[in-house]
Amino acid sequence: MDMDLNLKRDALVRYGTLAVIGIAVVAPFLSGNLYILNVITLMLIFIIFASAWNLLAYSGQGSLGHAAFFGIGAYASTLIAAKSGISPYVTIFLGAAVAAFIGILIGLTCVRLKEWFLAMVTFGFAIIVQTITVSLLTPITGGWDGIASPRLLSPDIYSYQLIEYYSILAITIACIVFIYYVIRSRVGLAFSAIRENELEARAAGVDPVKYRLLAFALSAYLAGIAGALEIHHIGYITPEIFGVDLSFWPITYVILGGLGTLAGPIVGTIVLTIIWEWLKMFGLTFGRYIIIGVLLIMVIIFLPHGLVNLPNEIQKRWKGRKQKDAAPAPVKE
Amino acid sequence: MVDFGILLQIVFWGVYAGCIYILLATGLNLIFGVMKIVNFAHGEFLMIGAYITATIFFITGINPYAIILLSMLALIAIGAVVERLCFRPILGTGKLNEIFLSIGLIYIIQNGAAIIWGDAWQSIKSPYQEISVLVGPLNIPIDYIIIMVVTTAILCGLYLFLKKTKIGREMRATSQNRKGAMLVGINVERIDILSFGIGCAIAAAAGTLWVVSGQVFNPYMGSIPAVKAFAIIILGGLGSIPGAIIGGLLYGIAENGAAYYFGGIWKDAISFIILIIVLVIRPTGIFGESGE
Repeated sequence: MDMDLNLKRDALVRYGTLAVIGIAVVAPFLSGNLYILNVITLMLIFIIFASAWNLLAYSGQGSLGHAAFFGIGAYASTLIAAKSGISPYVTIFLGAAVAAFIGILIGLTCVRLKEWFLAMVTFGFAIIVQTITVSLLTPITGGWDGIASPRLLSPDIYSYQLIEYYSILAITIACIVFIYYVIRSRVGLAFSAIRENELEARAAGVDPVKYRLLAFALSAYLAGIAGALEIHHIGYITPEIFGVDLSFWPITYVILGGLGTLAGPIVGTIVLTIIWEWLKMFGLTFGRYIIIGVLLIMVIIFLPHGLVNLPNEIQKRWKGRKQKDAAPAPVKE
Repeated sequence: MVDFGILLQIVFWGVYAGCIYILLATGLNLIFGVMKIVNFAHGEFLMIGAYITATIFFITGINPYAIILLSMLALIAIGAVVERLCFRPILGTGKLNEIFLSIGLIYIIQNGAAIIWGDAWQSIKSPYQEISVLVGPLNIPIDYIIIMVVTTAILCGLYLFLKKTKIGREMRATSQNRKGAMLVGINVERIDILSFGIGCAIAAAAGTLWVVSGQVFNPYMGSIPAVKAFAIIILGGLGSIPGAIIGGLLYGIAENGAAYYFGGIWKDAISFIILIIVLVIRPTGIFGESGE
């Protein structure tokens, strides 16, 4: 019975994945609307960002300041591309490397810290980076005014939006596949070992410090890619990129979708983007945040494993009811 | 050369700013002590308190310092509702869940306030705005003195409440040992709700003091001070009230010093630089217990 269910679920996941990729590939042709194409492009970028945050959480660490790595990747890539003339397609990976390097540095201060303390340090780190960007680094970053960022593709190219969309889609899929293999490798095993029980992990020969730093580096690298993609897509960067808002979004996406699962950040980002854009049609500005907030709290309380676990929950409830119908509950003595 | 007068002025401003932090940190500490959760949305209660005071002041025009108790009472009620609806269901579930939940609360409260009161910066005028006292080289607005006195009064009141009353003793018992408290017949859930409400009320007092001293406010004003307040209780040791007071004063002074010497933009960053340096040296905070 259980095996049957597992097989069914595997098939569901496989077809679901194919369906999502299929929809993503044909999406630009379903609607000629450039606004919708833009929304989907940004959604893909945020899938990378949310997955990056999730990877860090997978190793038992939390960050309230992931916008720092998002922004560092974006600024580094922008500056490299603007100064050297190299194509942004190359510099996003260089900029992300800068984010990863700084991720290791901040990871070094964090490895010994526990949950809340780590959350605070990462939150503060984003503020410190923002401050440095608009003070010491103003000559190269343009301060609060920001600077123009080279576009991924020149708008002169015929249907450049489509090419941009497909390249971002390809990078997103590559990032997800990469995370998939990391989680399934020995590294991923080490991550979950130190998350579940650090002492036992150490006893089994897993060096927590090494793997924590690795998680920080990988997560910062992926967040950096997302940040660089967004900025090259938009064409302009300001220090607002380090804001609290951008640090909270990936957390909201991941918690809603399902913490610590590969599909969680993807499901969460897609669902939230749809809700967000749908609410926009009613002209809600502040109200949208309130609805998202209520949704987030309700998921945390009633659906602790996120939306990806919704089918399981329903199945459990349904099964429970059927059993209840079949046999009356035993009377307590 | 460092000008002594300016230094003194910075220290004084710092103590004034520190008062707000001390109140926020004390409230957070009380909640953490009893419930062992960190409410990242604590600053939003400061913001609501500030707006309640401002609204009553706009409507009635009575002395804003007189509104502080009303604002605190309102926040006890709001805090109790939030505790019952949001935090109680997740007590004892996964670590950091309360932080994720706080993010949802921040979304709801900030934007709710923006709908009710608008999201523009506002300010009110204190009745004593023009009055200030000259002490040596210092020019002290009387408002600042009132704020320090009120803060001290609230802290003393809290101290007496915790030491002398039955409920206060029950709160301390719950924070020391939750199971033990249950065993001796303390209704810990009632204590949870009460401490959360009182914590929020103290935040509302901080918000009131914030607006009556003429500082501008908007729905997003609470986030950063609350996070700093949390940084303060990390430095001062989780659960330690004296630690919160020392940390609050230190932060107020350090911030004003940094703003004066390096420029206002460093005001927020300096707090976190201090936090990171301290945590690198002592991962458990200055007064925190060593070990894990």
